[in-house]
Amino acid sequence: MEIRHYLRAMNAENIKEWKIELTYRVDFIRGLFEPLIFVLPFILYGIAIVGGKYSENLEKLTGTGDLITYTVIGYIFMGFLETAVWGMGFALRKEQWYGTLEQVFAAPVPRWVYVMGMALHSTIHQGLIILMQSVIIYFIFGLVLDISGILPSLLIIGIMMISLYGLGILLSSLVLIFKEGWIISEILYSFIIIVTPIAYPLAVLPSILQKISMYMPTTYGITTIRHFLIGEVSTFTVFDAVLRLLVIGAAWVIFGLFIFNIIDKRVRNKGELGTY
Amino acid sequence: MDNIIVSDLTKKFVKKGKRKLLRREKEDILAVDHISVKVKKGELFGLLGPNGAGKTTLVKCLATLLIPDEGTATIDGHDIITDPISVRKILGITTGGERTLYWKLSARDNLKYFASLYGLSSKDAEERIDYLLDIMDLKEKQHQRLEKYSTGMRQKVSIARAILHDPKILLLDEPTLGLDPSFSMFLRSFIKNDLNKKEGKTILLTTHYMDEADQLCDRIAFVDRGKLIVVDTSKNLKRNVSKNEALEIKCIGNIDKLENFNAHIKNKKNYTKIRILHENTEDIMDDVLKDVKERAKILSVNVTRPTLEDVFVHLTGSKLEDEHE
Ligand SMILES: Nc1ncnc2c1ncn2[C@@H]1O[C@H](COP(=O)(O)OP(=O)(O)OP(=O)(O)O)[C@@H](O)[C@H]1O
Ligand SMILES: [Mg+2]
Repeated sequence: MEIRHYLRAMNAENIKEWKIELTYRVDFIRGLFEPLIFVLPFILYGIAIVGGKYSENLEKLTGTGDLITYTVIGYIFMGFLETAVWGMGFALRKEQWYGTLEQVFAAPVPRWVYVMGMALHSTIHQGLIILMQSVIIYFIFGLVLDISGILPSLLIIGIMMISLYGLGILLSSLVLIFKEGWIISEILYSFIIIVTPIAYPLAVLPSILQKISMYMPTTYGITTIRHFLIGEVSTFTVFDAVLRLLVIGAAWVIFGLFIFNIIDKRVRNKGELGTY
Repeated sequence: MDNIIVSDLTKKFVKKGKRKLLRREKEDILAVDHISVKVKKGELFGLLGPNGAGKTTLVKCLATLLIPDEGTATIDGHDIITDPISVRKILGITTGGERTLYWKLSARDNLKYFASLYGLSSKDAEERIDYLLDIMDLKEKQHQRLEKYSTGMRQKVSIARAILHDPKILLLDEPTLGLDPSFSMFLRSFIKNDLNKKEGKTILLTTHYMDEADQLCDRIAFVDRGKLIVVDTSKNLKRNVSKNEALEIKCIGNIDKLENFNAHIKNKKNYTKIRILHENTEDIMDDVLKDVKERAKILSVNVTRPTLEDVFVHLTGSKLEDEHE
């Protein structure tokens, strides 16, 4: 009974967010197309530098020479990082800003249910954006993908999301107590982007960053997805990647929840819940 | 049987002051100061006090939105600190403030969302929402966004939200604050007759409107600066000063004190109101009027029976602002 109540609450959270977002129509449409505009310069830049789609050096490093496809896949799927950092991270802050956070927290649902509701919504929202981007880019630039790799890629995304949810939980609470919380989000976001092999293979990073990169779920996520879609070769096997994604995921979620609970207590002690 | 038992509840806030060199000045505010009180099952209980008395803080502690520093409370036997989820299940609450609902959503969508949080199935929710919109007379506008509603209509939605899950116990924080008289009247009668009398809900209501507490509440607690001053029925509280009469003078002029009398003076927009409690106002009438006349233009003079507000002022020395006129 309890579980059904919680699932319903999660879904209600998702639906409510959609309804609110759709009242800001212009913003919503902008949100759908903006990421596309970020990706295009990279594609065009790549084509201009390499003088086509093929890069010999990339082929040497990763086993695939298709620079455009390589980069585009990296960029598109990094969109899920947005889910965690901006979608989930700012969900509670948004409620605070609407003035509804206290009313929501007065309802008989544990905090993790809201968090999962936010995760559900941001994932679906981001998923739609990514799907749209993929379709458009696929047809404009004629990407060559291994279609049979799509299903395993989706599975990898699912596993990668565990860690990203952990990050989202962490940020959603930090943002509650730090008025400049977006700076923390921005720094973490940029940092993860740098140490993830999105447009370049790991081998070109300074060795210290390469080491840090090995603790980032996005490294395993993106590389493995590219492995399935265009045959990227890396230093770890798919099995390794999944295993590490699970371990990192567990660690990040536990850490996120730990901090979330501390901050929830602090906020209820100091009476900071309703204030913005 | 007691539905709400508050024992020795204390909540402190640290107020950050100005930054002084490297250190920030800090000031402790005892918002709720060792309050103990019991609310009986089916009782409509009023917390009455001026701005900053600690009413909202107490309500938020009971609603598990704040963790008390000392003491605790139980709601129908569930402890607010150790068992918050059970407490939230049986509580309906409206916290004060304008924006406690989603202004971008319609009344119906707001209620649907909260119904899910409170665990109603969608069929039950639809039925309950229909019923509530009906008695609140909001059916026609149910699909309009709340940003287009008046304050009074939003407050109706807020009350509807609080009773969605048909809770046994209600905490209503200033339910009629800033509302037009017609909305206040409707809500007061709804709270008293429907929710309390008919449905037998236990209700803890905060207000700084004297006449609201007087009209609605079975018992009233006076709170001032975090402390509970007294708890009793309105009738008994008034008996406290019943041997007195109240001399009320309305005048135009700047008076903030009468030297020889213990007067309660309120500066209103268009006039100043002076009230003096005395066993026999005839004895002091001449002297008071003389004193006032020297400094102000007298509009009217009345001798009445003491009101609840007189009792409050008598007991606490504080005044209640913004009373309904
Ligand atoms: N989150 C907070 N942080 C710091 N101080 C607070 C906080 N909430 C309330 N206070 C302080 O605690 C005291 C009691 O406030 P509270 O809101 O409980 O009073 P109230 O009786 O509800 O008053 P009002 O009639 O204005 O609603 C006030 O001095 C207020 O400034
Ligand atoms: Mg208040």
